[in-house]
Amino acid sequence: MPLADYFWRETASGLRRNGMVAFAAMSTSFIALFLFGLSLLIGRQIDLLVQAVTGNVEVTVYLTDPVRSEIYIPMMDQLRELPAVESVTFESKEEAYQRFLDLFSAQRQVIENADPEAIPASLRVKLADTAQYAQVTEALGCTTDDVTGATVCAAPGVRKVNDFRELLDRLSTITDVLSYGIGFVALIMLASAVALVANTLRMGMFARRKEIGIMRLVGATNWRIRVPFLIEGLVEALIGGMLAIVALFLGKVFFIDRLRGDLLWLPLIRNSDVLWVAPFILVAAVLIAVVAGTIGMRRFLDV
Amino acid sequence: MISLQHVSKTYPKNGVIALDDASIEVEKGEFVFLVGPSGSGKSTTLRLLTREDDPTSGEVYVAGKHLAKLSVWSGVPKLRRNIGSVFQDFKLLQDKTVFENVAFGLDVIGKPKHVIDARVPEILDYVGLGSKLNNFPDELSGGEQQRVSIARACVNRPLVLLADEPTGNLDPSTSVDIMRLLDKVNKIGTTVVMATHDQAIVDAMRKRVIELDSGKIVRDQARGVYS
Repeated sequence: MPLADYFWRETASGLRRNGMVAFAAMSTSFIALFLFGLSLLIGRQIDLLVQAVTGNVEVTVYLTDPVRSEIYIPMMDQLRELPAVESVTFESKEEAYQRFLDLFSAQRQVIENADPEAIPASLRVKLADTAQYAQVTEALGCTTDDVTGATVCAAPGVRKVNDFRELLDRLSTITDVLSYGIGFVALIMLASAVALVANTLRMGMFARRKEIGIMRLVGATNWRIRVPFLIEGLVEALIGGMLAIVALFLGKVFFIDRLRGDLLWLPLIRNSDVLWVAPFILVAAVLIAVVAGTIGMRRFLDV
Repeated sequence: MISLQHVSKTYPKNGVIALDDASIEVEKGEFVFLVGPSGSGKSTTLRLLTREDDPTSGEVYVAGKHLAKLSVWSGVPKLRRNIGSVFQDFKLLQDKTVFENVAFGLDVIGKPKHVIDARVPEILDYVGLGSKLNNFPDELSGGEQQRVSIARACVNRPLVLLADEPTGNLDPSTSVDIMRLLDKVNKIGTTVVMATHDQAIVDAMRKRVIELDSGKIVRDQARGVYS
């Protein structure tokens, strides 16, 4: 207890005396950790978006006319064997036309110009794992021409396969750019938080160099001299981290929750997602403090 | 108690030779003056004894410990707990009272509160400041401030007391009082090594005198005078 008491008193007096600089370190940690958490949450939101966009999408295998059951029934069985496939249903030309009519019921022109015969029958393949869409095209021996983008399939009776290769590729490009960009900014912010906390510790040590000199003189151990500074850095980083969590939560309440009413179709991050990000932020705060402590105290406190 | 064996010290930054093959033996309970002009190596000698500096060559022993073999993390702090240090500029913390200044020295080496509360008034009484526990350093005279610093140096009952020009900032009559106090500390068995320029004091005390010049020991005389 006396030891804890000692460290507490030294840390508190350090924070008091070093007020403005400690505040600067705290706010940089806050901004850095806020951005860090924000990047995690945006990543989370992007995941939700991708799931929403691709979750209901089916791979559609369009069949050539005339549609023959001895071809498409074995094909359905073959596709059902695939691990990524959840279910396969057959949609006849009539059903497809009916769906077409429903879809464009508001646009009479489209319907009038459409030839029912031109709408093909198809196999609707629902996937258990949308990311594995390629299994379907592979099973049907389809290859995509890199130049024209047209899909040619080896399996008989298949006119064309619509998977969401393009959609997924485009999405993943966007998400990659976004998450790398945000991650990069967060990394720079974390580095500057480290530099600022380290600098605060240095300034604190400089302000108390006389005390430190006397401590060494009377035989205080390195740990006894350093631990208060380490705790000081830890307190600054952790306060910054906690403020960041609070700010992310408030941001979620004030911005995301307002969208919830307007964008019903779009799944949005929830409180549990903010909660999921919290431990990462706190761990990052501890890392900031440890790295800053190691850098800040090097050389300065050699016996 | 203290042993320097063929110790040399060259400061690598400017190439200054501070000590040149110096050998000194000091027995337990001795009182030794280190004299010599500025830059002769007095302060360097004291810094080697607390291992603030390492010798370039030669061996230093204090209280039976070979200083080069002490670990920085525990050996050196333990060594310094056995050595009291007093300086010309007192090195007191201005925002702490007399009591707190002395208590600080015990607090930072982990002494519990009841030990601090018992020992600090006792040592301050011993140095003659029993009535000024709650004064701040700037309310005290130079001599009184030096007494506080001696109290801080002695409160942990060190084996050795090192004093670097302890009377350098004091007028002659105050200096005499400080010397009486150091003599008193020496009489209870503390080995005292004092670096000084103060001729009157050295001549009056008639203690062992070691004279340094350009890092070399040029005289080691029992019951000596300044020059």
